[in-house]
Amino acid sequence: MKTLSYFIILSAILISSTSFAQQITKAEVQVNGLTCSMCSRATETSLKSLGFIDSVTPDLNRNVFVLAFKKDQPVDMDQIRDKVQDAGFSIGDLSATMNFSNTTVDAEGIAKADGNVYQFTNAKSKTLDGPVTAKVLDKDFISAAAFKKRAAELKSPAYLTGKGVVGGKETRIFHLSI
Amino acid sequence: MKYFLITAALLLSTGLFTQAQELYVFTEPASNMAAKSIGVRVTNEGIFKGNKMNRTIPEVMLSFNKNLMTHVQGFFSDMDGKYRLEGGSIYAKYRFMSVDGTQRHLRAAAFGRLSTSKRPVYTEDINLEGDNSGIQGGIVVTQLLHKLALSGTVAYNKAFVSDSRKIPGMLQADQLISYSLSSGYLVLPVVYKNYNQPNFNVYFEMLGKTNPENGHTYVDFAPAVQTIINSRTRIDLGYRFQVAGDMPGRYNRNMYLIRAEFNFFNVLK
Repeated sequence: MKTLSYFIILSAILISSTSFAQQITKAEVQVNGLTCSMCSRATETSLKSLGFIDSVTPDLNRNVFVLAFKKDQPVDMDQIRDKVQDAGFSIGDLSATMNFSNTTVDAEGIAKADGNVYQFTNAKSKTLDGPVTAKVLDKDFISAAAFKKRAAELKSPAYLTGKGVVGGKETRIFHLSI
Repeated sequence: MKYFLITAALLLSTGLFTQAQELYVFTEPASNMAAKSIGVRVTNEGIFKGNKMNRTIPEVMLSFNKNLMTHVQGFFSDMDGKYRLEGGSIYAKYRFMSVDGTQRHLRAAAFGRLSTSKRPVYTEDINLEGDNSGIQGGIVVTQLLHKLALSGTVAYNKAFVSDSRKIPGMLQADQLISYSLSSGYLVLPVVYKNYNQPNFNVYFEMLGKTNPENGHTYVDFAPAVQTIINSRTRIDLGYRFQVAGDMPGRYNRNMYLIRAEFNFFNVLK
């Protein structure tokens, strides 16, 4: 009986500790509108204020910031967008490396992982496993012109607002291309 | 002839280095500081009018969010004898348009200023950074194209002229239209390696004012150089001189400027 209770406690610990596994491990953010190092430094300082960011490595010539994330905290991509905008600039491209573990993309191209809902524009009815590099296509994650073009192609209300009803609840939906 | 040669040399030099940035020395760009940041500036103006006079301008800049920022300035000078505090100014700028591309952007902002000064009014050339009490409102548009930045400003200036500060016999005017065209080019570094590389920028600005009541106009040329150290500290050195037109009694027709600016990013809560 004692053994059994230890087993239950141990499995409870294991289950709870695996319930959050960092899924987004890395992101490459290309920032538009930047050319001076003072502007880059301001952007980097703004990004570093986010608790889930572990490190920021800038490539000053390409205006790209490589973000590494802390293992134990969920990554909020909308906050990354807000911090770049706070510095006075905007995201031109955000490519995230996501670690999937047998995640199902349904026939509509929707996948759920770690509390986030992803709508894939170029994948459906498949299983994702292991690291996948995905480009975020939502508004303010690509240039305004690119967003307009995508919106005309996709003709989806969820794409325009970045939100949709999932399981009866209004939910943030990230649109991804892999 | 002298001005022609200086102008030609300036145009040639800006043509040679075809690079610049938008941290203008004599005007402000449409872009704002990063949100929740503080900047501290100290500017010294050396004014040559008969004898040499000095004005010192301490300044604090605060950015509340990505679109709204403000500057608070104090003015100290020896222009009326003893070196003293002569006034202050509050300036606010709201960015209402921002179109970004890869290494380029187009921004537009509206700004306003409220100034006070104890100085007597000697000239119709309204200068709300020290010489006059008054208000200003205007629009600035800035286009950045990789290393070259171009900017244009138009503003309306209204001076508050109290009778006690009027100098008898002087031409009095209480409004001016001011306008400017500014260009800047990033000369160094040619290739960025890290934040500690000093930046070197060159600027050429054209600053004009017109009195709508009598048509009196002047245009100044204002070349400047700038270095940015550690991507945080900025040092400016500029000179402005009149090339066309005139307004009787104006103070800054022949003026140098030296400035240090320190930035503290993302420090406001």
